Amino acid sequence: MTPLVGGTTLLLVGAMLIRLTVTDAYQRYVRAGMGPWLLIAGVLLAALGAVAVLTALRAGNEDPAENERHEGHGHDEDHEHGDGVGWLLLVPVLALLLVVPPALGSFGVDRSRVTAGGGDVFDPLPAATEPREMTLLEFDQRAFDRKGHSMRGAELRLTGFVARPADGNGFRLARYQIACCAADAVAAVARVSGATGAAPTRDAWFTVTGTFRGIGADGVPEFAASAVQQLPAPVDPYE
Amino acid sequence: MVSQLPTKPGQAEQADDRSPGPRRNRAKELALAPIAGLLILAVLARPQLVSLLDRPAVANWATVFVAVTVQALPFLVLGVSVSACIAAFVSPATLSRVFPDRPVYAVPVAAVAGAALPGCECGSVPIARRLMSRGVTPAAALTFLLSAPAINPVVMVATAVAFPGQPEMVAARFLASLIAAVTVGLAWTVIGRGDLLALATRPTPPSDRRPIEVFRQTAQHDFLSAGGYLVIGAAAAASLQTAVPRSVVDAFAESPVLSVLALAVLAVVLALCSEADAFVAAGLKQFSLTARLAFLVVGPMVDVKLIALQAGTFGRAFTLRFAPLTFVCALGSASLIGWWLL
Repeated sequence: MTPLVGGTTLLLVGAMLIRLTVTDAYQRYVRAGMGPWLLIAGVLLAALGAVAVLTALRAGNEDPAENERHEGHGHDEDHEHGDGVGWLLLVPVLALLLVVPPALGSFGVDRSRVTAGGGDVFDPLPAATEPREMTLLEFDQRAFDRKGHSMRGAELRLTGFVARPADGNGFRLARYQIACCAADAVAAVARVSGATGAAPTRDAWFTVTGTFRGIGADGVPEFAASAVQQLPAPVDPYE
Repeated sequence: MVSQLPTKPGQAEQADDRSPGPRRNRAKELALAPIAGLLILAVLARPQLVSLLDRPAVANWATVFVAVTVQALPFLVLGVSVSACIAAFVSPATLSRVFPDRPVYAVPVAAVAGAALPGCECGSVPIARRLMSRGVTPAAALTFLLSAPAINPVVMVATAVAFPGQPEMVAARFLASLIAAVTVGLAWTVIGRGDLLALATRPTPPSDRRPIEVFRQTAQHDFLSAGGYLVIGAAAAASLQTAVPRSVVDAFAESPVLSVLALAVLAVVLALCSEADAFVAAGLKQFSLTARLAFLVVGPMVDVKLIALQAGTFGRAFTLRFAPLTFVCALGSASLIGWWLL
């Protein structure tokens, strides 16, 4: 890569990272806490790229001999340890500029499903008048702890997307937890029954209110819903 | 074949003679044309690309591919900055005070020094190469490469959080990773061949450029080269995550020996960030603790993304020998420590 092309590539990668953080779209791919780091990296790369482009342009205009010398150097390094492969960095840049891959959906739920609790022991939930917001992960962990002893009878509210529109006598709700990025996502699931109205579509988001109703024969915790409400996909789709 | 390490870098190979030849000024003006062309092509093909994402498997691939790349970029920027700082501001004399000349002493020093770099594995590759080109014994630089992503404080804390109430898991990971890194380093002093690392150990010629210019150009060059290979590795990891069904992995969980091997291979295939792998390991409950330890020790040292990065940085011939050596050492060390502690 010539200094000019290399600098332009850096500038584009930096701009991609800045755009991802400013628009909050990065939360589809990595943990929400990564935002500041992505922004810092983006600004540094963009600055490095801008200086490289300016230097290359100025050297080209004012002092061709100087530019020649630098390019000769770059050429030499290409032999020992090429940065020609840097072209590939334009692939994620273009992917994000043009198509914007979605957050993880129903496709990978079955291959990354939580099938056992963390071995945690939960205290019974305190009595409440309002339905209690709960993550699907906690719901699953409580379900696997002494067969859901700690949340029997409690009214809960769960949020997730539809992983299977038809699952037994209801549909399957799922949500991913990520530790770092979407590559390490683990899905928690529940089978929601008792919902009325139109059949849910795959990957649509729902908030369901209801109670825990045991664990199904296939190991999926059951949830008896009293109210089901569709909602737009959240900005941070992961728990 | 006589195995010999160049104790002084630069002994291995002389630089090929510079022959830039007459330059075509045209080429310089056209340099940006491919980028422009690629952009135009991509914009024209956009409807086709968008409709591809309607297929769930393609969308899953694209999401994991972008996620692995984006997640690694800040760490790569950190690694490249440290590497460029070493190139621009740290003299070989300073480094030789930190790292003893004799590999037997330098390797353990490098292993412990790895604990000081908070980051994941992508960042340590350019740093290791820079250490070599500044005269640090290759065995020590390689040990640093392996230990830094495995035993730094951030990774240790993540492991403690992922395995609550099991401090022995943190201790086992630290010990097993340290032992594996030192073993590979010492093994490399015995069986490693200097010519395999000739490119990386070639000293940077003294330069009349200002340090800040050296920093800028080193950072740009290292980022572009490592970033390109990172993209290859991310594509490989996304393909394997999308294509290999979980049931294949689960089938191995029952046998104690096979389960250790299966999770070691899974670590290579998944190419997780070393700061996140503990959370995934914690979720693999159908496997024994020793198998999960193998996952945590192998992952930061050998995975498809790292193999691509190392092949690009140090050369294919080197990686072809180094990756299997590291895999065996990491697996052995994890099995031993797991049998003892877990």
